[in-house]
Amino acid sequence: EDQRESETVNTELLAHRRRLVDEWNAWRVRCKKERAEQKGQEGGHENQGEEDKEEIEVWIDEVIEQIEEEVVD
Amino acid sequence: MRPILLQGHERSLTQIKFNRDGDLLFSCSKDHVINVWYTHNGERLGTYDGNNGTVWTVDVDSESLFMVSGAADNTLRLWNVATGKCLYTWEFPTAVKRVAFSEDDNQVVCITEQRMGHQCAIRVFNINRSGDGTKQSKEPAHMFNPIGSKATVCAFTAQPNIIITGHESGKVSLFNVKTGEEINNNERAHSEVVTDLQLSPDKTYCITSSKDKSARIHDTKTLMVIKTFTTETPLNSAALAPNRPYVLLGGGQEAMQVTTTSLRQGKFETRFWHKVFEEEVGRVKGHFGPINTIAVHPKGTYYASGGEDGFVRVHHFDESYFKTELYGDLQIED
Repeated sequence: EDQRESETVNTELLAHRRRLVDEWNAWRVRCKKERAEQKGQEGGHENQGEEDKEEIEVWIDEVIEQIEEEVVD
Repeated sequence: MRPILLQGHERSLTQIKFNRDGDLLFSCSKDHVINVWYTHNGERLGTYDGNNGTVWTVDVDSESLFMVSGAADNTLRLWNVATGKCLYTWEFPTAVKRVAFSEDDNQVVCITEQRMGHQCAIRVFNINRSGDGTKQSKEPAHMFNPIGSKATVCAFTAQPNIIITGHESGKVSLFNVKTGEEINNNERAHSEVVTDLQLSPDKTYCITSSKDKSARIHDTKTLMVIKTFTTETPLNSAALAPNRPYVLLGGGQEAMQVTTTSLRQGKFETRFWHKVFEEEVGRVKGHFGPINTIAVHPKGTYYASGGEDGFVRVHHFDESYFKTELYGDLQIED
């Protein structure tokens, strides 16, 4: 019975989260649409030129030495 | 990935800011200095000297050509990012508490403090971007005094000539800078001073933090509160994580009350909250004092925090941060 109860809670929580996401997404889509319309009216010059860049980075994260000091008072 | 510690400031940090590409991080402090750092390795690229008081605020334009700063020496300064030269200085009767560039880089908005018979003022300057930047007009294009509670933070919104402000009373407002008219407000956005305000990349929403221990997401057009994040400490900063459904909150006790902190490891934490579910999802500790300012890389790959302890910590998110679907497979719009 306990298990069944927790399952119900889980299902409810899941439904709750699903609803929150739906609300959020609906609001975001509305905002983006309004923003696009406004940009269109202004003559719409979007910022471009982001995608033609390619960066290659090599990461080396090596711990050579690590000292931890503990202060005793 | 281990955090990178940026050591170079001698006093507490007041604001940090990434440039648009995210390769540079600007930091200002009570030590009168502004520093700029390479974000990928934490190397200091340079210093902007000249202020004679706490530098409260910085902002950099989208091309990383000009930077503006506001300070307790009552000046607003325009700097050449690459050379470190101060190009122009505007002087006021009181300290400059907040500056911000407009989206097109052609304007700067600044807040000056209310003090000694001077009202809090909001000024907008047109920035002359032609030539070497040293020829600027002394007079603001627009100026007004916000009625009621003084403004503490501000930014340009997506709508032309409209700025969003946060106030000492906790109010969040929209002002028309041309007329000085308060177009809309939410008096009860917070119950105490608004300490930070950061906009989403498309400027359709923003996050504010407050000493009332909460942070809130607002619709920048309607000022409707969309989400609330309630913590147990006064907050100094709040940032949005691009491309991930999180917000980052920082704060802590007042500097005066910090006496019981462990000496070995900083206990002050950046808190991560899920922005849709309003649930705390994680904490990153490291600072030895309250966190004063947080910024997230424009692509959402790193974040940085500046503390009362004088350190800036740059954290590169690791792979799990990008892969984890904390609450299952739900598509969340950025």
